[in-house]
Amino acid sequence: MSLTSTISSPSSQRQSTTELRRPGAGTVFTVEMRKILGQTKTRAIAVVLVVAPWVFILLVLHQDRLPLETLYGRYLKVSGFATPMVVLVTGAQWVFPLLASVVSGDMFSSEDNHGTFKTILTRSTSRNAIFWGKVLAAVAATTALILLLGASSLLAGLVTVGAQSFVDVGSGGISAAQGLGMVAGSWASVLPPIIGFAAIALCVSIVTRSSVLGVVIPVVVGLVFQMYTFLNAWDTVRHSLLNTPLNSWRGLFDHPSYATPFWHGLAVSAVYTVLFLSVGYFVFRRRDVTEG
Amino acid sequence: MWGSYGRRMSRLDSDVPVVSAREVTKTFGSLTAVDRVSMEVHPGDVYGLLGPNGAGKTTFMRILFGLIRPDSGDLHLWGTSVQPNPVAALTAVAGFVETPQFYPYLSGRANLKLLAKLDGGESRHRVSDVLETVQLADRASDQVRGYSYGMVQRLGVAAALLRDPSLLVLDEPTNGLDPAGIRDMKALVRQLAEQGITILLSSHNMSEVDEICTKVAIMRRGQIAFDGSTQELRGRADRATRQLDTTDNRQALALVEGRAGVTRAKLQGGMVIFDADDRTVEQISRELVTAGLAIGTLNAPTTALETLFFRLTEPRPEEDAA
Repeated sequence: MSLTSTISSPSSQRQSTTELRRPGAGTVFTVEMRKILGQTKTRAIAVVLVVAPWVFILLVLHQDRLPLETLYGRYLKVSGFATPMVVLVTGAQWVFPLLASVVSGDMFSSEDNHGTFKTILTRSTSRNAIFWGKVLAAVAATTALILLLGASSLLAGLVTVGAQSFVDVGSGGISAAQGLGMVAGSWASVLPPIIGFAAIALCVSIVTRSSVLGVVIPVVVGLVFQMYTFLNAWDTVRHSLLNTPLNSWRGLFDHPSYATPFWHGLAVSAVYTVLFLSVGYFVFRRRDVTEG
Repeated sequence: MWGSYGRRMSRLDSDVPVVSAREVTKTFGSLTAVDRVSMEVHPGDVYGLLGPNGAGKTTFMRILFGLIRPDSGDLHLWGTSVQPNPVAALTAVAGFVETPQFYPYLSGRANLKLLAKLDGGESRHRVSDVLETVQLADRASDQVRGYSYGMVQRLGVAAALLRDPSLLVLDEPTNGLDPAGIRDMKALVRQLAEQGITILLSSHNMSEVDEICTKVAIMRRGQIAFDGSTQELRGRADRATRQLDTTDNRQALALVEGRAGVTRAKLQGGMVIFDADDRTVEQISRELVTAGLAIGTLNAPTTALETLFFRLTEPRPEEDAA
């Protein structure tokens, strides 16, 4: 059969492309989500995030020592709610920024690597829609993975230890329902700074066109921020770092509670997100696609 | 409802050029990749953009697709400027620049479905048809990473046809195809042209363009060196390059060099090389024999069109000196 044998008849009443609805960011979002789910990398990360908390709590339950130096570490055998809290405290150090980077750090640069920018930019979708669709997909995928880890940790703790009463940050006793609320609230509170890290990764991915740098740079930035907090340096700088909001939930669940760090962290996260997405947007809108 | 054929026919009747470039220039650092290019492609044309590698063809096509912004000049598609809103100008345009690229971890079919979605989703029901058209239906479920170069090229054509275009832009479409694939691709282009699709294709193969195209622009160092119909081009291609080997090539060169109708005569690789038409070559061969020189070889390794192409695109001595 030759290439020409099945070309549709010229008289066919196919719908004209001029009559088509122009796809927006929502369409790009669904396309990107389909691509993310089609990647072996994403599935592998999801499996690790589901399995890791179970392995962790099972190992802890089968040893005498507890991670006492970690907040809530001493309660791991007391209440199932301690498992997601320990995972949260530990994950906030570097796992969450890493997750955000792995998902978002090649969202744009993978198109450079595959040479596919020219493929998608010559369809009926504007650069504007492509940018925001990709940003939405990166945020959604990162959020989904973080929540997957949280849900798996909670389930692992409840199944292996149980839903016993718990303690708040000030060591005051709380009911199981309050414990559940604290787990949900604290995990939700880390999402804004994580989205900030995702914005850094997206920006680096656009500017450098390198997946490696898109993944590595936000993690390095997170580590540098972390090292700064260990120093006895300016508090003003420490409060403006993106890793500080990762711990801002502690005030919400202290006794008495205080919300100022949380609101401050929310503002810091918003500034990082807007700043880095703005730079990324500006560069992406103006860039020449010369590769591929 | 208007069908694609009706839309194309309406555009064929239109006086508005499909592509209209005015003084388009693009530089990368000190390199001027496209230098004040002006050209028009009219409805129904099969327009060949011809030139050696690095002539600026691909850069021009990237500007046409809105992938890169020109430094100066305008490029309009059906009267709509490509910049600042390429999506609006490219509504009825499809094609590819250099090798078509797809997501290697997805199948050919999944790639086309994603692209159909980015076109608005209406063409998704035609995915199977276009895969059949380019003979990829059997491999449609395989990941693209396992495709050969020729298969990726055909998938690129399928992705373009999915948009049901009125202007099809193909950058060296026969690259990497085997002889049967080249034959089929040329036949496909001809059939699409018969359907009223205007075609702009680039190539560095003169005979390919001569065979397929009705009009041609030859690019050289970012500029248009020739723009006209293939008929006009053939009219200018009166001389082919000849290779001559005799018992005394220095004497042969002296005899050939001064003749009217002979250009670019020189000794190269131990042979006399010159450009001349058939009638002049007949006279030269008679004179060589009269002068007592035995002719070992007298042939034309390139056609007259190819000779013209080389003449138009090869660096000039003053440029080499510069």
